[in-house]
Parts: sequence; C-alpha cells; structure tokens
Amino acid sequence: MGLREYVIRRVIYMFLLVVAVVCFNFFLFRLPTLILGVSPVDLMISEELRRNLTRDALEQLYLRFGLVPEPDIFDWIYMFWRYIVNMFTGNFGISFVTQKPVIDEIMERLPNTLLLMGTSSIVAIIIGIWTGVRVAAEPGSRKDVGAVTLALFIYSLPIFWLGMMLLMIFAFYLPALTNGLISFPLFGTINYDNFALVTNNPLGGLIAAADILHHLFLPMITLGVGGYGGYFLYMRNNLIDVMTEDYILTARAKGLDENQVLYKHGLKNAMLPMVTIIAMTFGFIINGATLTETVFTWYGLGRYIFDSLIILDYPVVQAIFMIIAITAILANFIADLLYGVLDPRIKYG
Amino acid sequence: MSQYESDKKTGGWKDSNLYVSLSGFWHEYRKHKIGILGLAILGLYIGMAIGAPFLATHDPSPTAKVAPHFLAPQWMAFFDPQGVITNEYYPDPFLYEEPNFVTQGPNKDEFSYSHFVAEEAGERNYVNLTWTHNAEPMYWRTPYDIEGNLPDSLDFVYFTRNFTWPFNNIPSDVNMTLEYGVTLTGDFATQEAGGIMFRVYMWLIDSSGNWRRVYQSSAPYTPTLQDRRIDLNYFDVNEAFGGMVQDENGVQEDPDDTLTVAVGLAPTRYFRNYLNTHPEDFYTGSVTVQVTEVSLIAYGEYFGILGTTDKGADAWSQLVYGSRISLYIGILATALSTIVGVIVGLVAGYFGGRTDEILMRLVDFLLVIPGLPLMMVLAAFLGPSVENIIVVIAILGWTGTSRIVRSQVMAEKNKAYVESARAIGASDTYIILRHVLPNVTPILFANITLGVVGAILSESGLAFLGLTDPSQPSWGRMLADAQGTGGFYNGAWWVVVFPGLMITLLSLAFTFVGHTLDQVLNPRLRER
Repeated sequence: MGLREYVIRRVIYMFLLVVAVVCFNFFLFRLPTLILGVSPVDLMISEELRRNLTRDALEQLYLRFGLVPEPDIFDWIYMFWRYIVNMFTGNFGISFVTQKPVIDEIMERLPNTLLLMGTSSIVAIIIGIWTGVRVAAEPGSRKDVGAVTLALFIYSLPIFWLGMMLLMIFAFYLPALTNGLISFPLFGTINYDNFALVTNNPLGGLIAAADILHHLFLPMITLGVGGYGGYFLYMRNNLIDVMTEDYILTARAKGLDENQVLYKHGLKNAMLPMVTIIAMTFGFIINGATLTETVFTWYGLGRYIFDSLIILDYPVVQAIFMIIAITAILANFIADLLYGVLDPRIKYG
Repeated sequence: MSQYESDKKTGGWKDSNLYVSLSGFWHEYRKHKIGILGLAILGLYIGMAIGAPFLATHDPSPTAKVAPHFLAPQWMAFFDPQGVITNEYYPDPFLYEEPNFVTQGPNKDEFSYSHFVAEEAGERNYVNLTWTHNAEPMYWRTPYDIEGNLPDSLDFVYFTRNFTWPFNNIPSDVNMTLEYGVTLTGDFATQEAGGIMFRVYMWLIDSSGNWRRVYQSSAPYTPTLQDRRIDLNYFDVNEAFGGMVQDENGVQEDPDDTLTVAVGLAPTRYFRNYLNTHPEDFYTGSVTVQVTEVSLIAYGEYFGILGTTDKGADAWSQLVYGSRISLYIGILATALSTIVGVIVGLVAGYFGGRTDEILMRLVDFLLVIPGLPLMMVLAAFLGPSVENIIVVIAILGWTGTSRIVRSQVMAEKNKAYVESARAIGASDTYIILRHVLPNVTPILFANITLGVVGAILSESGLAFLGLTDPSQPSWGRMLADAQGTGGFYNGAWWVVVFPGLMITLLSLAFTFVGHTLDQVLNPRLRER
C-alpha cells in the first residue's frame, strides 16, 4: 500500500472521527435537557414572560438556539439534523449570553490563547530538548539525577498553584519590596487604563504590544515550566534509548568524537518521536489552559470554556469542543505524515 | 552508571516464588533514594488521613467560622511577641476541675454549691449553685451599685477561675459563652414573679479587684441547658484587659496579669420590694443553677497552627482533612480507570481483529476530546459529589493503561507458553488470567502510581474551579477560596502556600514511587 492510499484511508478515518465527536457533543450538551428537561431558554426568560408569549414567538425564540419547546422524538431528530447541518457548514449559532455569534466570540479570544500557549510551548520545548540532550550524554551523573528529580517535581506540581505563587511573589510582594521597581500586573491581558495613551500616540501600537508582553510574562513562565518536565523526560529517555542502539556503537567504532555521535547520530533519531509529541501539543493548543488563564484572568479560550459552561452557554462550549477535536485530529494526522517523511524506515500500511 | 547496570542483572528474582520475588524486589527498590523518600512521605500522608480527627484542632468544614478571617498562623507571632493569639483562654471550659467557690454575706448559709465530674459517656461535668430561701430578710447593699457591676444583695454565691493574660496588648474582641439551666422549686416556681427574684451573673475581675459584670440573666428560666453567647463590648474589654497593658515606662495599672472569671447567683432588689410587697418575707423555695460550660475566647491577629481562611475557618483542620479527599479520590479513581483499562487492553490485545479495532477506535476518540474541558462539563452536569468526581476522572484515565496493556498482551500472546497452554485445551479466560495478566502486571504498577498523580492533580484542578462538593475540605478548594477572595492581596500568603504545598508533596511522593517502580520493574522498557 502506497502513501496515497494511506492518506486516503486516514482522511476517511479522520472524517468519521469528526462525525463521532460532533454526535458526542450533541448528546453531551443536551444531557440536562434529556435527563432533567431543562432547556437553556428556561434560564433566559422568566416563567411570567413565557406565559405571556404566544406559541409562535416562543417557537421563534427556541429556534434561534436550534431548539424546540417540549420536544418529542421527531423534534429531537429534527434538532439533531439542524445541528449536524450547522456544524458542518460552520454555523456555530449565537451565544445565549451575549447574543453575538459564537464564532465572533471565539475569534476575539483566540489570538490571546494562541499567544500564551504558543510562546509557552515553544519555550518549554526548546529548553526541554536542550537540557534533555545535555543530560542524556552522561546518564546517572549527578547532573542527570538532579535534572530528573526536578522534572519529576514539575510533573507533580499543580500548575495553577505555581501560577498563584508566581503571581504572589512577582506581582504582590516584589513590587512592595522594591517600591514598584520590579512589578508585574496582577490580572488581565492588557491594561485598559492606558487606552488614551495608546490611541493618542503614534507609537500606540508598540506601547500596547509591550503592555501585552508585560502581562504575558508570568502566565507564560507558568505554562512553560509546567510543560518543560514532560519534554525534558521524553527527550532524555529517548536519547538514552537511542544511544544503546547498534548504529551508535558503529559510529563510535568509526572513531567519531562523542559530540558528533550524540548530536549527529543520536539526536537525529531521538527527535523522531518528539515530532509526534510536539505536533500533538500544537493540536491541543487552542484548548487553552483553563486553570492558568483563570489564575491570571487571561482573556483566552480556556477561561471562556469554563465561564460559558458555568452559565450554561452551550453553543460556545460545543463549538470550542468541536474546534479542539478537529485541530487535534488534524495534528495527529500531520504528525503521522511528518514521521513518515522524516523516517524513511516507516512503511505505510 | 551503577544504577542503570544493576537493573540489567536482576532478571532472576522475577521468576521465583512470591517471598523471594518480594524480598528481591525490596532489595532492588531500596537502592533508589527517591523511592524511599516517596514511601516515607506517603506514609506521613496516610498517617495524617487516618489520624485526621486527632490532628485537627477545629471543625474542618470550610464554612465553620471560628475566628475573624485571614488571621496569621500562631508561629508568626514569634516576630511579634505582643501580638494577641486568638484562642480559648478560660483554663477549663468544660469544668473538669473543681473551681473556687465563694459564698458571702451574713446569710451565706442560704447558699450551697457542688461540683460533679462525669463518669460515664453522655454525662457532662457541671457546677451547681443553689440558693434555698426560708422566709426571712436578706442583707442588701445600700445604696445599690449604680453601674450594676455588683449584685443588689450582699448575700450571694459564685465560683471563680483565673488565668494569666500573656500579652501586653488588648484583644481585638472577646467572646464568652455560659451554658446553664435553672431549676426552680417552691414559691420561685409557683409565683408569677418568681423569675425576677434572682439573677445569674458573670463577671471579669482584674487583679486590682475591680468587678466588671459582662452578663446578667433575665427571666424566664428553664431547666434545659442553654448556651448564652456574649460578645463583650469595647468598654468591657478595655476595662478588664486595659489595666494589664504597660505604659511606656513599663508600669501597669493592675498588680499582675491575672484575670478572674466569676459566675454567680444572687437575689435582686425585687426580692426586697416588689409592687409594695416584700417577697423575702414570704418566699420559700430554692433556685439551682447548673453550669456546664464557661468559655472565654480572645481574638487577635494570630490563630491556630495555620491561621484562618477567608471565611474565618481553621486552615490547619481543613488541610489535615484535605488529605483524606485527595487520597480517596486519587486512589479510587485510579483503581477504577486501571480496572477498565486492563480489561479493555486484555480483551483488545488478546482477541484482536474486530474487537480490537472497535476498542482502539474508542480510545482514539477519547484522546481527541479535550481532557480538562470534558471533565469540567461532566462534573458540572453530574453534580459535585465525591463519587461523581471519581467517575469523571476515571472516564478519561483508562485510555493510556489500555494501550500499554494491549501492546504487552500482543507481545505475550504469541509466545510458546501461551501456544502450548492453548494446545492442551485451556480456555481463553484461563490463559488471560493465569498466563497473560501476571506478565503484564509489573508494567502496570508504575503506570498506576503515576495515574494517582494525575487523579490527584485533576481533583485539585476541579476543586479549584469550584466543581467539587463545597462542604468537603479539600486543598484545591482552599486554593480556590484564596484566589477568589484575594488571599494574598490581604497579605495572607499562608492560605496560598500550604494547600498547594500539600498537593505537590503528595503527588511528588507518588511520582517518586512510580518512577522507582518503573526503574526496578521495567528495565526492558529502557533496553527495548
């Protein structure tokens, strides 16, 4: 079986997986309606208003959210059909709360989340791989044991707590101790007090960018540290494994110096599985980081999922679920393809 | 280097009998320092979870207010020796020891007292103050004490306990509790005005001998024991404690730092003249006051072992009880997900074909669903009970286990011993349980331990978002409370640091044990 056939098969499989996720979402977010008979419209309008509305007006209201009042089995089938059509035509509906299209709400927050998750992942990956390689050259050394212990410690750390600690130290105690010389913002993504400064200044864009980076620093460090442990351990273990392979022995026998063996022969092979991990990381990147975003009140998707869930704003949550699942599936696919391209030993089939 | 070489030489003990393999395992395990450290920490936590009722000093409920909010831990008073520590200062609130009894006045024979110590469970210690009156005049204070600090009669009974006030400061607030019941007989019970002929008093007496009345009772009375909670006003606190504060010359008003609490029973002026009658001349009967609790709580900036939370609850007790929830959820959720993962992995790997295909597609499906968001959705829909949280965490936890088990089973099932077992007619169940499963278990141990870490962290995350039971003390919820109420904006760093430290240390212990198990049991993984 060649590459083409493999790709076609994978694409069909991906499509089925997306369909499965879409169906799963439909039932997941209608569980309260199915089990308890509560519809989100009930939360919007009072009992009194409901009695005063005509049947027609009520149906129109429900229809706006793709719902039917007091649904029977046929209504469910109809709702399911409408939902499927909407999802595959990219119509995610409107938010129950803000009455704005869900896609607009998501796009508003997406850049913030991409910025936060992107920078922190890149930092974690680069430092993780770098230290992993450094340590794998001499497994069992004091340096190695120390680094592994540190990575295990990070693995056990509740990341949101790390965020709280950093926030407390760098945004509360340090500014007080240094008289505001070193100071980081306590909350938010951008400082709205600077609005006039930013709009009335020719360099306003730069000021805004600097302000966002200032706000970005602490959550980025938090997530970077949180991700670092995993990349480090994975890289180290891979490389130590690779270094026991026969071709490394051959390379050494050829008389190559240890650095060349490590970086040219070892690292290249050990990086292959890392590609999958990195691709998967970027697949889940729009997932955001609910806990860290909550700690730093970062205006991103992770916090948006949670806030919408708490006020039962289902269209938002189901749309984000759908988007995350599709990105994850795509990332998985790309990772597999990349793996094949990078490693000629892989045969498709 | 030695650590890695030793693993390779230890194939032998895995194949022998249980005792040999256990001691061989231990011999290998104890070489890893972090493994031992992990076990030690784990032991401490389990001890804490079991001993929680003994270790906790207060009600562990997050909403049980015991003091003002965000009080600092007691040991921080080390830097501030005069800072008042919030505590119970009455030496014996439940009256185990016999207090000092005093009867006074020319008619002191009318008064008696007794002290009773509980001997059986369900009984309570109490002090009885009794006044038995036979129609005859009492001796009255003339004129009456205008401020009302002293009773109207010179004849009365009281009991006292004293304590030393260790600080050179006035407490920010003082709450006192007096629990008592009153039994009346004779005219005191039958006459309409019987209830206003006497009063129960509580006084604070400083070492200069100034009496400050902080409580006086009023009718009606019942024999049932009832709590009287008394919040001392500013003047009471100042009067009673102010004399013990040194001025800048180191001189204080009162001779020493002793404060006396007195509880007494005395006739009122109505007993002398009530609507132009003289009850003292015709009343016959008795009044018995049964006191079961006297307490004095002084509030300051410091409280308990770890201070108080945003709701004024004791942080230490919550921290101690939090270990129960974390261990319980961590272990049970992992057990559940391991059972599911092992069954799915065994079935998929052993039978292969279509079964394998379907199960692995299910795993693929779960892997593309975002983890924490799904847990949030399920926790919000199912409700916050502990069982639901366990299920929610386990739903996503089994996929990794099932993949590991499946790949191991696929490697094992074509080996010769499985073939031969099948050849002599062993059933699938027998082969899975007797041959395949035992070969897969070592792989699982490390996986299980690391799974507990994930479950503990998930639980704390869900609790941090407020999706767990709000009445259960848990570390994640303590952090949520600290975050939601601006714990450190109020300078209360202890509500942020300690719960997080507890989570970190517990999961670190499991991580260390899991890492060590991985090194001891699965050297094959590294050799590949």
